[in-house]
Amino acid sequence: MTHPGLPEYWAFVVWGFMVLLSIGLLLKINFSRFSFLNKKTISLYQIKFVSPVIVFLTQSRWLILVLKLVVVALFLLVIYAGLMGTPVPERNIATVLTWNIWWAGLIISIFFLGSAWCAVCPWDTLASWHVKPRFWLKKYSLKINNSLEMTPPKWMRSVWPALIMFVGLTWLELGYGITTSPYMTAILSLVMVVLAVISLAMFKNKAFCHYICPVGRTIGFYSQLAPVELRPVDNDICTDCKTMECFTGTELVDACPTQLVMGRLTQNTYCTSCGNCTQSCPDKNVAWRIRPQSQEAIESAKPHWDEAWFMLILLTLTSFHGITMMEFWEDNLRKFAQIIGDSGQLLVSFSVGLVLSVLIPVGIYALAIEITRRWSSSSSGKDLGFKKIFTSLVFVTLPLAFSYHLAHNLNHMIRESVGAGQLFLNPLGSNVSYSGVADQLLIKNSMLLSENNIFILQSVLMMFGFWIAIKVLQRRTEDLNIKSSLHLLPMLIFIVAINSFHIWMLMQPMTMRVGALCVVPASL
Amino acid sequence: MFLKVKNIKFIKLFSFVIVVFFSGQALAHHVLGRPAYSLNEDSNTPPSMQVETQIGSYFVTYMVYPAFPRAGERGRVNVYASRIDDGDSYGGKMFFEVKNDVMFGDENKELLGTQSIDDGVYRQGFIFKEDGDYIITASFEADGEPYIIDFPLQVGEGSSMAPVLIALAFIVFALISVNVLQRRRLMREKIRSVRNNESQSE
Repeated sequence: MTHPGLPEYWAFVVWGFMVLLSIGLLLKINFSRFSFLNKKTISLYQIKFVSPVIVFLTQSRWLILVLKLVVVALFLLVIYAGLMGTPVPERNIATVLTWNIWWAGLIISIFFLGSAWCAVCPWDTLASWHVKPRFWLKKYSLKINNSLEMTPPKWMRSVWPALIMFVGLTWLELGYGITTSPYMTAILSLVMVVLAVISLAMFKNKAFCHYICPVGRTIGFYSQLAPVELRPVDNDICTDCKTMECFTGTELVDACPTQLVMGRLTQNTYCTSCGNCTQSCPDKNVAWRIRPQSQEAIESAKPHWDEAWFMLILLTLTSFHGITMMEFWEDNLRKFAQIIGDSGQLLVSFSVGLVLSVLIPVGIYALAIEITRRWSSSSSGKDLGFKKIFTSLVFVTLPLAFSYHLAHNLNHMIRESVGAGQLFLNPLGSNVSYSGVADQLLIKNSMLLSENNIFILQSVLMMFGFWIAIKVLQRRTEDLNIKSSLHLLPMLIFIVAINSFHIWMLMQPMTMRVGALCVVPASL
Repeated sequence: MFLKVKNIKFIKLFSFVIVVFFSGQALAHHVLGRPAYSLNEDSNTPPSMQVETQIGSYFVTYMVYPAFPRAGERGRVNVYASRIDDGDSYGGKMFFEVKNDVMFGDENKELLGTQSIDDGVYRQGFIFKEDGDYIITASFEADGEPYIIDFPLQVGEGSSMAPVLIALAFIVFALISVNVLQRRRLMREKIRSVRNNESQSE
């Protein structure tokens, strides 16, 4: 089954917006003046009525424990249903909860809550309960440590492992078709837990979350665009701090799982929102605060080579997700398979498609960077270097990927989550039939949002992504001392091309991830 | 008709990797495809599994209907085979066999039937008495060479918690190994400190 695409008139609204902004950029209009909060951050601790709630939420270890228990229970249900339930994907809670609700909803949650998911992630929770369980009794705690506490090898201390895992996960998801197999979904869930346990048993802190987890790193990078952050209330207290409990932990609270020092924290990328720092700080100097959306990607996040590649490939794989759900993809894949003599599940053809879908945008980006480098160096006489421009300007890819990811996932979430509640009554999908025309009618009549509202939201998101990408480009090129409007042109063309391609994909009918969810009687 | 199969699909992932990476030559005439599942949006009839594939000189399409049959439910396999060079349909006999999808143990291979071409299609019906995992094999001979097409078929719901046990075994093994290593490490440190103390006292 397919979802209808974005109507042409909405696409033209977004394109019109893009043209106006592009002209504005070339005319050197300073877009940072139009920011909603304009660089102001608001500590939630300082808001009179919100403060007690936030204090309770961040200081109470019981609340997070209860949330973890709920998530772990759902996770175990996914494994059980995947192994024991119906193979019909849209009738089994394993595939529906994992791919339609969690995987689609996760990206939407980042837009509001940053990396909050990592705080209750069942992979890490189960690993911690196995390797480093901690039991509390009032003010005392007993911690059992079954970890070798080795330092991860140097090659592992980057986001390359997570990037390889991410590409692998995409291959399994879209190539092998895990999303349509409850059984394989359960197997993948088990594999991730085993990996998390082995990593925690071998290495100190949370090496899995920090370096390996593809979901955690995706959340981390997207969190640069989130409107929330955990930061010191008063920087001077952190400057004077000699004990650094946020980094070392206390008797009752573990150290920061990704070894962040709160006083020096400037970006969300590796923060897992676990709240250890808020509980361990003796001065209660760590708090959630609201900031201008995307401020971090625009100006404060520091460029690194491995992280730049992660962000760039995140963009390409996000686009690739969309491509594989287009109707033309299957036809072209078959034609290509016939040419190269591929057979069976067409995995070789799929893999070639995946590699091309990664290489083409990377090549275009690299070309845009090289032209920018040459033009800027010929006019200023100073060569900034390819690597420096590559890592600095790669932040434009984050909002482009994030906005398309959100717009794409809205379809899955809103259209395919109809009737999801009923699946909890029959999570294994026993004795229910396939979905068909009846389900399509039910979906259309019982969506959480009307079809037109989905289109409006998608259009707004695409405009939002473009707007942030332009602001990133403007600010980051200023930092690089690239002043001429002409020199921005290659990157502007890259941004326009990627966003236009995303809009075009949204206009196409999109194949459902696992099908309709409405549970209809077997007689239908 | 068939024995109940022990559901050991957890090894499918490994067998799949082996099939993909180590069967280059065999692919020419032996295909193990995992069909794509697609919903039919035009009717309420159960969807089918369909795969198009090239083997040797032939372009083969096979379809299993319904995609996820249940025990006692009637189903059928349709196979179309045409030459890649001139598009001519294969006209000889086609054999359909079924066996349990197990890595180890009794495959219990049985002949489903031998079919002649009917309106360009080979049709083979089936009814499974028990839930389980099976492999249906369609085979034919052309130009003196055998052509074999395998496709796995799950009948009914899953029934194995074996992957959970394997995952738990992995975790327990990892934790025990870590404990043993930690004890050794502690022992080494103890011995080292005793030796240091002894050398200092001398």
